Amino acid sequence: MKAFLPLFLRNSRARAGGMLLLALTLLQVGGAALAAEIIANRSVTPNDLSLAAARSIFGMRQVKWPDGTPIRVFVLPDQHPAHAALCKEQLNLFPYQLRQSWDRQVYSGMAQAPSEAASEEELINKVAATPGAIGYVRKAKANDAVKKLSLE
Amino acid sequence: MAFALPVHAQELGDGVQAHGFISQGVAMTSDNHVGGNSNGGPAWDLRELGANLSWRPTPDWLISGQALARWAGETDRGDVRLDYAFIDRTLHADGHAQTGVRLGKIKNPIGFFNTTRDVAHTRPGIIMPQSIYLDRIRNFYLAAPGASLYGNRSGDAGTLSWQVSALRPEVEDEELERVFMLLNRLGHFVGKTSWLGQVSLDSVDGGWRGGLSLGEFRMNYKPGGPFGPNPFTQDLAAGNHRLPLWVLSLEHNTEDWSLTAEYSQTTIKARDYGSIISFRDNTTEAWYVQATRRLPDGWQGYLRYDVLYLDKDDKKGIAFGTPLNLPQHSRFARDWVLGMRRDIDRLALSAEVHRVDGTAWLAQMDNPAAGLLVRKWNMLLLQAAWRF
Repeated sequence: MKAFLPLFLRNSRARAGGMLLLALTLLQVGGAALAAEIIANRSVTPNDLSLAAARSIFGMRQVKWPDGTPIRVFVLPDQHPAHAALCKEQLNLFPYQLRQSWDRQVYSGMAQAPSEAASEEELINKVAATPGAIGYVRKAKANDAVKKLSLE
Repeated sequence: MAFALPVHAQELGDGVQAHGFISQGVAMTSDNHVGGNSNGGPAWDLRELGANLSWRPTPDWLISGQALARWAGETDRGDVRLDYAFIDRTLHADGHAQTGVRLGKIKNPIGFFNTTRDVAHTRPGIIMPQSIYLDRIRNFYLAAPGASLYGNRSGDAGTLSWQVSALRPEVEDEELERVFMLLNRLGHFVGKTSWLGQVSLDSVDGGWRGGLSLGEFRMNYKPGGPFGPNPFTQDLAAGNHRLPLWVLSLEHNTEDWSLTAEYSQTTIKARDYGSIISFRDNTTEAWYVQATRRLPDGWQGYLRYDVLYLDKDDKKGIAFGTPLNLPQHSRFARDWVLGMRRDIDRLALSAEVHRVDGTAWLAQMDNPAAGLLVRKWNMLLLQAAWRF
């Protein structure tokens, strides 16, 4: 479809084409809408998190679950679409702010860094295999060996 | 199982992490000396190297330490220093609030950036805004042995964080005497018990960040010459310095823009130094504003205006009378900075140009002949930095 778009742009008379282009652009934006779901190891007891708790956990300030189990945070690379979605939609932060906050804590000894997974598949495997683990993916599947945590 | 192997080199084992950073810069100046350039050529003596280890044996304990070597002309010659080393004990933690205590050598939270000012990736530019984060006396304010109590609490308005520390500042640097005693005297400073507090608020939508840092640094001076206070050796009688300071910090963040401003005052109260030189109390005024624009593909550009007056009641340095014939423009500096940076994964490449009116933040050790200082000067800085 994209290959046709420049043709519409070149044709100054094609007002209808322009409308179509606009519609397509809107559709494309809609189709690429950000989404992220928070997942956790099945040993984790809570089924939902408050926004404050989610920010504390992904901000590496809160490091244990209510039952005392250590929290292990797994993240995707900063540029990953699911990472942007987690930050903006769930945590109300921009990805660069989370990165700044991690770096400032890690290089002043105030906190440890989250563990990075290269892909969503790797992240799911790690969360499934690590007691107390938390992470996120764009869309969790029913057969994933992890639980979904909803944000209150 | 593949999971048994740590994928990232920085995870050394159960609860143990290692991180580090390295940066190399180059400075070119039209006049005056920065970073060890002595003959007008480029200065390569701008380098930082750091590595840290942290261990969290249980969720309530964290032990961490970092070693740092820094090169920056005459003031920093690459000696390896213990940057911080402390034990952190969490006293209370739930989803909404945490409090804890730290004991050891701790980074001093002053303004937004002091705790990680030597990590290029976390700086707002290649060099810190020199008004508030004066590199000449960085070690004095950077980190100190002591104890601190800290906490944070999340509510409807955002996250409130606070920290209160009792500390003993480190006073070994020669440049410290040049700043507070005008030259390197025969005696030496001894750090005294000081305190520092910081409170900051991050708004719940992530758009605003504000903070106030408040403290008082103290030190005593012990004369060093065999003849006591003496005009020939320029040594002084025993005395003491008290330096109350405050920094107000504000930042507005959007997806593409960050607007950052900080304002600070430090009052210098010198007492009992005998009659050879009379110190009067004076207050420094320091502030900067910076706009940073983030662009696609890891690019960003920034513009900063950075202003330092060593005496806010004598901004032009006219009343500054000294037997050392220091020029009036050594009492102020106004610095326009235009810079750009590109982040490629863990690598950050930066370039910035400075247009400076005044010489207040130039290190005296790099510019020993005050009479050769040029009031209006330009500087180009380039830097490559990597972290893990």
